Amino acid sequence: MALGTPAPTDPDLRTEAAVFWYGCNMTRHGELIRATTRILEAVGIAAAPAGGPGHCCGSPKEANARIAGGMAQRTVAAFNASGRDTVVTWCPSCHMNMQDSMAPVTPTNFATVHVTEALWARRERLAPLLTRRVEARVLLHAHHGFNGRVAVNDMVPGLLRLIPGVTIVEHAYRAPGHMCSAIAAVPGALADAQRATLAAMAEAGADTLCTIFHSCHRESVALERHGLRVRNWIHLLAESLGIPAEDEYKTWRNAEDPRAAIGEARVAAAGEVAFTRLVEPELRRPPPV
Amino acid sequence: MTLADHIRAESARLAALCTACGACVRACPMTPYAAGVTAAGPEAVAFGMRDVLREGPGTPEALAWIAACTRSGRCTEACPERLDAAFMLRLAQWRAKGALGEPPRFPVREDTQFSPKVKAFARLTLAEQEQREWL
Repeated sequence: MALGTPAPTDPDLRTEAAVFWYGCNMTRHGELIRATTRILEAVGIAAAPAGGPGHCCGSPKEANARIAGGMAQRTVAAFNASGRDTVVTWCPSCHMNMQDSMAPVTPTNFATVHVTEALWARRERLAPLLTRRVEARVLLHAHHGFNGRVAVNDMVPGLLRLIPGVTIVEHAYRAPGHMCSAIAAVPGALADAQRATLAAMAEAGADTLCTIFHSCHRESVALERHGLRVRNWIHLLAESLGIPAEDEYKTWRNAEDPRAAIGEARVAAAGEVAFTRLVEPELRRPPPV
Repeated sequence: MTLADHIRAESARLAALCTACGACVRACPMTPYAAGVTAAGPEAVAFGMRDVLREGPGTPEALAWIAACTRSGRCTEACPERLDAAFMLRLAQWRAKGALGEPPRFPVREDTQFSPKVKAFARLTLAEQEQREWL
């Protein structure tokens, strides 16, 4: 049974096997990969995480169709060979690319289902597990894009309303694009969106900005410097479920000294050169607003 | 079939159905970030975008609009022909970036350190076993 099909409420429902395709650029948030996998497992989906450059949709190389197409083809081939009949996606780019340009080029033997759809279809199994209160007045960080493909702007608040203590506040603002990495590439657009988000938070009386996607979370965590909380929807679900999901990236991004916050031992494990050249500049970059 | 074949085939199919009415441009929240689009007008910009899909040169305003596309999807909702206008923009972006081997028509920013950065963060946030099994 493909995972998009609403699951019966039978508590003895068999566990289904899937791939959890978290995308190529999610590794800043290992706790989200880990927690999402455990949440899927809790509702009966044994999802094997797969991502990183070895499971890329090709987007980072889209100026060259030969390279991007080769990356996409390898990823589809790996999923076809996995023996799992469903790929649960996280990243909206990956999801759209699978449907628009990967599956049409390389035939697939799996269904593609977004993680919000998989959890929404199993919300009756999820709800009783959300036992811990999470006090938060939440404004969803919503974009226009992708919602026409998968109704994330409805399903994520719907899932969050299952958490005792969470109040969802409404506001009409929607950021352009499908996630923040897209608007970050257009000069001025991310800063405009973040100013509008801060205004929406104030107007709605929210204390917590809830991101849906990884790049939005990455770009938004520095907004905590404006006196609000920024959490991903998986962080909120995990807290209510009692699943540990410490947001280390947020801590590092907002630390005066990211290197000290991470600690020398972990910096050494990551590689001194890689840390200095690839990680530290991002963590020290001034935020857009 | 290759990705390049798919881009060519879908570009031709959708360009043949597009009337260049400009509804997609009018609905787009990114036009303030695309130089010249307001002055050129929605129909002219849509015409230029369709020209790119037809392997033409496009226009400076259409290329600015294509470059500013962030996949908001408002264009698809607005299209009176019920075309996936967002995918048309994606196809136009591939073409304008030079994905089919032509010179790029606007500056393309590619992060050459993308994969190394992903792996560097993985070493910070994933255990060794997770890296082996999940990457």
